[in-house]
Amino acid sequence: MPARTVSVTMTVNGRVRTLEVQPHHTLLQCLREQLELTGTKECCSMGECGACTVIVDGRSVNSCLMLAAEADGCTVTTIEGLAQDGRLNALQESFLEAGAVQCGFCIPGMVMAAQDLLNHNPHPTVEQIKEGLAGNLCRCGGYARIIEAVHAASRGKME
Amino acid sequence: METLQTSSLTRFIYARPGTLDEAFQLLEDHGPQACLLAGGTDLIVQLRARKLTPRIVIDLKKIDSLRRDITETQSLLRIGALTLLSNIIDDPRVNRHFPVLAQAAATVGSVQIRNRATLPGNICNASPAADTVPALLVHQAIVNLSSRTAERAVPLKDFFVGPGKTVRRAGEIVSSIDLPVPEERVAASFARLTRRRGVDLASINVCCLVSAAGLIRFAFGAVGPRPILVEDGSGRLADPAMDAREKERLLLGLLEQTSPISDVRAGKEYRSAMLLVLSLRVLQEALDILRAQRRE
Amino acid sequence: MSAEWIGKSPRRVGGFERVTGAQQFLADIRLDGTLSVRLVHVDCGHAKIIEVDTSEAAKVPGVHRVLTAADLPQPVPRFGPTFQDRPVIAVDEAKFFGEPVAAVAAETDDAAQEAAAQVRVRYEELRGVYTIDDALDSGAPLVQDPSLRPKDPLRNTNTLEELKFGWGDVEKAHADVVVEDTYTFPMVTHFAIEPYAFMAAPDGDGIRVWSPIQHPFILQRIIADVLELPLAKVRIFAPDPGGGFGGKGYPKFEPLLAFLALKTGRPVRLVLTLEESFQAGRRMANRVRVRSGFLRNGSIVFHDIMADCMIGAYVDIAARVVEKASYTACGPYRVPNARILSRALLSHTTPSTAFRGFGVPQMSWAVESQLDEAARKLGIDRVEIRLRNLPRKGEVFIPGDLPCDGNWDEALRKAAAAVDWGSPLARGRGRGIALGLKISATYAASYVVLRLHYDGSATLMTGTSDMGQGARTVFSQIVAHEMGIPLSQVAVVMGDTAVVPYDTSTSASRSTVIMGTAVFRACQELKAQIRRLAADTLSASENEVVVDRGVIHGPKGDLTFLAFLRDFLGSTRGELIAVGQEVKKKTWKHPLAGTTVFYELSCTAAEVEVDTGTGMILIHTFATVGDVGKALNPQHVEMQDGGAAVMGLGHTLMEHLILDASGRIRNLGALDYRIPTIKDLPLQMHSLAIENEDGPGPYGSKGTGEGGLLATSPAVGSAVQEATGVKIRDLPLTPERIWQGLQDHVRGR
Repeated sequence: MPARTVSVTMTVNGRVRTLEVQPHHTLLQCLREQLELTGTKECCSMGECGACTVIVDGRSVNSCLMLAAEADGCTVTTIEGLAQDGRLNALQESFLEAGAVQCGFCIPGMVMAAQDLLNHNPHPTVEQIKEGLAGNLCRCGGYARIIEAVHAASRGKME
Repeated sequence: METLQTSSLTRFIYARPGTLDEAFQLLEDHGPQACLLAGGTDLIVQLRARKLTPRIVIDLKKIDSLRRDITETQSLLRIGALTLLSNIIDDPRVNRHFPVLAQAAATVGSVQIRNRATLPGNICNASPAADTVPALLVHQAIVNLSSRTAERAVPLKDFFVGPGKTVRRAGEIVSSIDLPVPEERVAASFARLTRRRGVDLASINVCCLVSAAGLIRFAFGAVGPRPILVEDGSGRLADPAMDAREKERLLLGLLEQTSPISDVRAGKEYRSAMLLVLSLRVLQEALDILRAQRRE
Repeated sequence: MSAEWIGKSPRRVGGFERVTGAQQFLADIRLDGTLSVRLVHVDCGHAKIIEVDTSEAAKVPGVHRVLTAADLPQPVPRFGPTFQDRPVIAVDEAKFFGEPVAAVAAETDDAAQEAAAQVRVRYEELRGVYTIDDALDSGAPLVQDPSLRPKDPLRNTNTLEELKFGWGDVEKAHADVVVEDTYTFPMVTHFAIEPYAFMAAPDGDGIRVWSPIQHPFILQRIIADVLELPLAKVRIFAPDPGGGFGGKGYPKFEPLLAFLALKTGRPVRLVLTLEESFQAGRRMANRVRVRSGFLRNGSIVFHDIMADCMIGAYVDIAARVVEKASYTACGPYRVPNARILSRALLSHTTPSTAFRGFGVPQMSWAVESQLDEAARKLGIDRVEIRLRNLPRKGEVFIPGDLPCDGNWDEALRKAAAAVDWGSPLARGRGRGIALGLKISATYAASYVVLRLHYDGSATLMTGTSDMGQGARTVFSQIVAHEMGIPLSQVAVVMGDTAVVPYDTSTSASRSTVIMGTAVFRACQELKAQIRRLAADTLSASENEVVVDRGVIHGPKGDLTFLAFLRDFLGSTRGELIAVGQEVKKKTWKHPLAGTTVFYELSCTAAEVEVDTGTGMILIHTFATVGDVGKALNPQHVEMQDGGAAVMGLGHTLMEHLILDASGRIRNLGALDYRIPTIKDLPLQMHSLAIENEDGPGPYGSKGTGEGGLLATSPAVGSAVQEATGVKIRDLPLTPERIWQGLQDHVRGR
């Protein structure tokens, strides 16, 4: 079958990008391979692990479950879009401070899911943090400190 | 047969019609070779696994007339074709009239899934384990289908044919789902069985609705080729004076239509036993809610 | 500027990169002109390969090469860390579900996948060995070709090895009470969030191989062996693994990639899917039968242990896992009579390899549960029976090995206190407690190079892999602490065998102790150099000079490092270089080639509640206490310990690979193989440590990181039994299994 590419224009981390994508490629593949934004990770490729979480039009999604073509007209924020001028944002800071990072492979997705949670609910309860991050697996098992990190970031916002 | 593990999807043409007519034309041109894409959270998994190998994937999201919101008329809530599960969970009208639907929708996948998955998509995927379906069934949801030539409304209880199969015809698109607002006071409760506390597919799920008049509806998922709706109008299950053994016996009668099987998630014997355990629990909870409403 | 860094918890070195997405894991590295590789395997666990037809695949546009066993040197090279039994690609037979029979290299991943789907394999499914009973069946097919071990009397069986350990005399020992039972532990998989990935590229007359491997020098040796190259011509790049847990210890498809790189003359890259990663490594499955004798007062008289350990189709490191776990099967107790017989059984399943705990969780599930059973029979408290049998520090408990090296009763008491052991229980609840003991490395060769630069900053070059445990951070702390320089002025270089000196492995919770000692010694060596060299500048004799935390003290005045380096090196510049090492040779008369460097001891305690309707367990309180000697970075220690505990809850509550009759994994992938999510955490979790500075590592440290999962299963199992009256002997403790146990209990089965 002839590969008919699809033209896509999206805003990624504040920058407008126009590119031709393969119809069967996911947003994850597009970000990692075409835009070389390799901070977004691939693990299960079926929406179970959350490693590929990015924020699309203000909501967290699994980029492995979205076609690149579907991102046309969308605003996408990846882990690379959080720090500004080399300065970490509050959530990234608190992940480091709380010791929430071990091997780090799940962390970009985890941080994006947590960022989305805080964007919609600046002061979540522990139960809400758990619900918000239930779609992100961390095999290093650092969940307790991840909860602490999100909690600390939300407290920081209060001050 | 060789097997191939891939992270890539099967190849297909991607189409993004702007109108329903364009979409109908594409459906006509490609017939069974076409797949409809709403949220994609089920479709993309199946494209990756090669369970589906369509020639064309038709993205519905740019179709102007397909709504992504919920509208309310006097007697019903109309859920647009592109309404996200996240919207269902947060919607005040859903929470007022159909809180059990919001509760069930909140158990589907993770936040990331619910931010992408649509309610009609969850139905059209026709998984026997779909978590929103039992809540919709007990509330007698109607599926509205459009085609180039006609519109028709199918009660959800008649919509499913088997795993992955519905009565939707090749040229049809689900345009909305209607939920009739109950005329009398009702309460409902939902429960599901999983292997862990976090995100998991339900091994079984159960929803129970009770009305002030004593009508009881149960809907069961993952215990047959399609979700099952049963009704009991005897009023006996709602009777607090009812003997526990007798209640169990009545429930077992209602469960006769279920046909649980053994699979990698749970054994048949366990599923059967849990049907009764969860049915008793959701029944009790629904009755408790109803009673609490009465006191208010 | 002489900050004290030991016992502090500075932020993770490499943490910034990990929260910004800048960290380059293997799949993030791009080389120009790389070919994508995909593997082809057959749809069953054991098959005779009749023909592999690659003609259609080769026609797919963009395909560069389709490789099968026929394209490799004959006989096809075999490799493995202990037995060289694994072929680079399947030869004649596919011996486990997922063993590749062909590999495609193409310009794009899409082309590689399309071509891989076009490879036609004609094969005949053969009867397979998929269970312990299959392996012991004398009529079963042989997994391993007997010609691979011609002198072994067991060569015509599926038993790779029979191991015997023991002391005293089990037959003659008198016991008041004997308990006997059989416990099983299923196959589970590592499920690192980073799937396995590999790259290889030709490099002049040598080769470069990239792998997120824990032991780059073992990979280097194996690649050199299969390609018949000198070590110097094999350069291994080992980017930080995105989680290892033992699974990334030993080579898998690196030899295949190396051949593909040489055949194509191009860099080649293979990133496995998560499903393929499941098929690439797992924990061994055990069936352990234990007969244990006790005196009325609770003293252990004997353990008579028979462990059947199902390893995979190729040995990998599994024989060593069986050996080490069996050796300590009696746990951290004074056991006067012990008889341990273990069989390593080959099967047509995923090769079992190292997995956090290295076989101990499988053994402790059985043997710790026996202590609980005895306690119940004897009417002794479960903490009390353990206290009664724990050796004191300095007491020999495994004859011929390192005596007890900690105050282990402290760990037990602390864990018990954390779950309010002995206080009244709410209805439907139960508590459990168990100890786990693991030996560490028994031999080692670890070297570091420490360079003090012109400006006073330092670079440490080490072969340890940082897979999340935080080795970079802890080594930086040691250097900063010893040299008295800011942490920000220490760089740690890892993961390139052409640059870093030799290290045996990153395993067995050994790096802080063994590599840490090498780092510590390099610092002392560097300070000795400075003392020697600064004597001139300070117009003093060498023994009058004292180097203390960044300052050089002489009889007539002090010098900073910076001032000294400027003076000594002058405007030509230069640097000081020190080597540190820790070498412990193998001693062949010891059954494990050496005594352990330290014991990793941990205690787990839990309070659970069971929903008797559904069988679902809710863990209210959960505590782990490790004997860490000294926590060099307390936050890192807690992260490792708590993380191990969560992993232990995974194999205790929900994880198991389920095979069908053809040896296929039915729950392949993230949908039906469940690991703990954030919602599966216990309601309260305590990761605690005891620190008596009595370890052999720097500042009295011992290794940690595995302890937290050694005793999860027996602790939770015991708590479930107290809550429900039901004893479950088979893991995992799924709701369905607990419910079944409750049904059987009610029916009096």
